[in-house]
Amino acid sequence: MKTIWTNARLLDPASGTDAPGGVLVEGGIIIDAGPHLAETPSGADAVQDCDGRCLAPGLVDLRVKTGEPGEEHRETLASASEAAVAGGVTSMVVMPDTNPVIDDVALVEFVMRRGAATARNRVYAAGALTVGLQGEAIAEIGLMQEAGAVFFTNADAPVADPSVMKRALAYAAGRQAVVFAKPEDPALVGSGVMNSGALAARMGLSGMGRDAEWTAASRDLILAEGAGAKLVLDQASTARTVRLVEDAAARGVAAACTVAAHHLYFNELDVGDYLTYCKTSPPFRAEEDRLALVDGVARGAIQAVVSAHDPQPPEEKRLPFAEAAFGAAGLETTLSAMTSLVHNEQLTMLQALRPITCGPADLIGLKAGRLAKGAPADLIVFDPDAPWLCDREKLRSRSTNSPFDGRRLEGRVLKTVVGGEAVYSA
Amino acid sequence: MSAAAQGHIFSHRHLLGIDGLHRLDIEYLLDLADAYADATRRDERPEPALADKTVVNLFFENSTRTLSSFEIAAKRLGADVVSMPVSASSIKKGETLIDTAMTLNAMRPDVIVIRHSASGGVKLLSRKVDCAVVNAGDGAHEHPTQALLDALTIRRRKGSVEGLKITLCGDLSHSRVARSTTLALHLLGAEVRLCAPTTLTPAGVETWGAASMHTDFDEALAGADVVMMLRLQLERMDGGYLPSRREYFRYYGLTEERLALASDDALVMHPGPMNRGVEITSAVADGVRSLITEQVEMGVAVREAVLSVLAGNAA
Repeated sequence: MKTIWTNARLLDPASGTDAPGGVLVEGGIIIDAGPHLAETPSGADAVQDCDGRCLAPGLVDLRVKTGEPGEEHRETLASASEAAVAGGVTSMVVMPDTNPVIDDVALVEFVMRRGAATARNRVYAAGALTVGLQGEAIAEIGLMQEAGAVFFTNADAPVADPSVMKRALAYAAGRQAVVFAKPEDPALVGSGVMNSGALAARMGLSGMGRDAEWTAASRDLILAEGAGAKLVLDQASTARTVRLVEDAAARGVAAACTVAAHHLYFNELDVGDYLTYCKTSPPFRAEEDRLALVDGVARGAIQAVVSAHDPQPPEEKRLPFAEAAFGAAGLETTLSAMTSLVHNEQLTMLQALRPITCGPADLIGLKAGRLAKGAPADLIVFDPDAPWLCDREKLRSRSTNSPFDGRRLEGRVLKTVVGGEAVYSA
Repeated sequence: MSAAAQGHIFSHRHLLGIDGLHRLDIEYLLDLADAYADATRRDERPEPALADKTVVNLFFENSTRTLSSFEIAAKRLGADVVSMPVSASSIKKGETLIDTAMTLNAMRPDVIVIRHSASGGVKLLSRKVDCAVVNAGDGAHEHPTQALLDALTIRRRKGSVEGLKITLCGDLSHSRVARSTTLALHLLGAEVRLCAPTTLTPAGVETWGAASMHTDFDEALAGADVVMMLRLQLERMDGGYLPSRREYFRYYGLTEERLALASDDALVMHPGPMNRGVEITSAVADGVRSLITEQVEMGVAVREAVLSVLAGNAA
């Protein structure tokens, strides 16, 4: 059966398309797409009229945490997927720092099997770079990759020992595995809880210096260069980190970086009155860093925007700021954060969509994230102008620790399609 | 009463910090405290402004002097006082901070005085209770009654804080006293100079109202009217932030020789407890210019003023 999605503003960053058009789907696969499908062609069995709304590839999110396995009270793959499809996220990669840690084949298979059985979107697993995320012994990168792990990372426990990181990168390079590394020197961050600077000092909170990000980013880029490894810095939060990646790429290093959507939207002032929903790692930085990150997205220096979805229940957040958990729920707000930047005229629509569709897909070799023949029919229909008030009570994640709570955003998903099947309708 | 604060209404429900107070708020509290201090010196019993009121002292962090100062202040005004050191009991049982506050709140106190080791911890609790809350120190954030007692001590000796050159020296990074006192003295018109070794110098002290930031103590002392030494935690002097006690004393210890760089009638203060021989010599601490015991005396008066105003507002 062929289904035509038509009468749409077709947005496909991979081909640079922003024009009236449509997409033809058969068997869960896109068999044709483009402006020539703006009118319903003959031969389609079913017609989906998009009513002039935007039709784009579903979002590919490279950094999602759930509580499954081990902390299902925070979030399950199923509950995360409810939030994901409401936010237009059709593919998500879950981090390995669960309990137990995803550091062997059986656990990778568990995540993929549970994802396929319970989630409404596509779930991919990232494998641990080191056994138990302990930063000591290299995990079974090759075997986990064969089992389907899409990249390898130590998640929020960056490898402290440079000799371990050096060998892990070398080993990963030999297996053509992609390594994601959070640029953070744990010793320099110490007990820091928010961005270092005058505001942290005034509030009496210990700071997380930008230098902790720069030294770690520099180290890992140098080690990746020597190893010939493909390295993605996970969540750049400063202007200089982006420049470090660009400089490395210019030297021929296979280096890229991501940024969390909330870092494009908030700065340290949003922490305001010790708002723990705004406590993230890396922390919200200064306004000039935020602007530089938006600029990095605009010119393609940042390849992917992630939700950095990290569900935390109230008992982890309703605490004094220093004692509260890091992390923000973000699956449902990534697209709106990006379209809000389009409304602020800081990004064009294609610049906003590229790092949440084909950009991240290309980093880990997925065919998704584009409206191309042969790509999976993972689609979203959205209204980029729809205003809405983010109310955490209405978010679908099991934990609703969203820094966007109470914010007015512009742009909402109307329909989400995974493999040709509608999985969400507003 | 100073003319300025006459007829002023202190409209805040809580006292969470100096930040957010108006100069007149501070002068109003100081005027009231001044009267309490005079009454005590005349051995008069003040009006029982807190009769039939319940004051709970909820200290999540050890304290001897601040806790007893609040206790005495509340008792002098006729309150029923319950002091609860929490560090040992409920927190260890896994009860959260907010659970503790809600439990206490259900017992309907009129004022809760809270000390907590986390910055912002007192404000968090204040949102969960119906009564007035006094911040008795939260992490490295604020300690407003200390700032008020410092200001009162200076005002009583010098007549006014306006225009005075006041030097604060010590561990500014970790000091809630430095933040609150700098804010208060700046609001009252003083020129506040801050001094610390570079490893204990926070960013952006101008946002606290400081006029200048110094690494060289001698430079910060030149012509000062008041010198306030801050306590330095001894564990910060084991090579982590500072090489040694003796090196700290060499560059930042307040000696009689160094005090001579300040103005001839300079006064010396310290919020206590002191590390004698580290940040201050005994000769200076016990000398004629020292106001250290007077600060303790003014502490009770200031807390009487704060408790009576907040209990009155809540009634």
